[in-house]
Amino acid sequence: MSSGKKLRFLLLVTAAIAGALLSLRLNAPVAQLSTATVLPAPVALPEFLLLDQHRQPVGREVFHDRWSLLFFGYTNCPDICPITLQVLAAAKQRLADQGLETLPQIVLVSVDPERDTTDIIGRYVDYFGADIIGITGDIEELRKLTGGLGVYFERLPVATDTLNYMVDHSAVVLVINPRGEFHALFSAPHAAENFANDLPLIMARQ
Amino acid sequence: MRTNVFILAACILAACSGESNAPLVATGVFVTKPLPGTQVSAGYLQLTNNTPATITIDRVTSPDFGSVEMHESLLENGIARMRALQAVSIPANQTIRFERGGKHLMLMQPGEDINVVALQFFSDNTLLLSIVVEPQTAVK
Repeated sequence: MSSGKKLRFLLLVTAAIAGALLSLRLNAPVAQLSTATVLPAPVALPEFLLLDQHRQPVGREVFHDRWSLLFFGYTNCPDICPITLQVLAAAKQRLADQGLETLPQIVLVSVDPERDTTDIIGRYVDYFGADIIGITGDIEELRKLTGGLGVYFERLPVATDTLNYMVDHSAVVLVINPRGEFHALFSAPHAAENFANDLPLIMARQ
Repeated sequence: MRTNVFILAACILAACSGESNAPLVATGVFVTKPLPGTQVSAGYLQLTNNTPATITIDRVTSPDFGSVEMHESLLENGIARMRALQAVSIPANQTIRFERGGKHLMLMQPGEDINVVALQFFSDNTLLLSIVVEPQTAVK
């Protein structure tokens, strides 16, 4: 084969390989969000002043500089709330196993501050993970936070036992970005695999 | 009514032990230990009615807790709600489930030592079923 034919053959092979690679790329599945909804424009968190489990004041700054998964619940809820915290803890473990370098922090804000003291919520969240932040405090400050996020909660009246009451509350898990903005949400029911799939995509796209 | 009386009598004679051929049988019983900081546990199980008549459970008690209620978790329009159930009916020859995210027992005010939990299920003040279970570490 002459040098000209060799060159033409080489070009053809190179073009074929490039075409094949391009085809593969075009046909590759694009990663999709499974259940999360990303807000068209992130919403800044309102100002509030509550307490963490160490009795330290916390405001919206607690969400700065890292991604957060924010859930509202209460410790006297024996079914939905522990299930959700279990899912969030499992999701964080999955993300760690996937090699995600910066893991989100998990934050539980009590919608039952009357019963959930800092000590109670501290012991409760520690059970699900040493680095989970538990927040409680003044109910009017709580309403500033929930009102600004569109999160609902309502204590149900009871006739017989004032300490035995239930609290209806939004089951959503909010994703707060490192600028402290409400960025995305996961609607209930929750599953660890949905967080493990969607969070890296949300974090990468922002 | 006569059928129900017969069923209840049979249940008492069967000592309501949860035997598989008893009129009312509990399986898959799982009672959580109270989570740290809390005074509540949850109970999950399946109840099978082996009789040709509906059985209605209207009271559950435990000597190991100050109060036991039948509850149901609901998810309505993104809101998590929990509601007390006054009674739970098990149709003839069917099984109902008390499971996570659904019907469950809410056990409140635990005693100091709850290495075992006894549960009694009543219908119209008649004991239908009595079981004992070792509480488990809750979801982890």
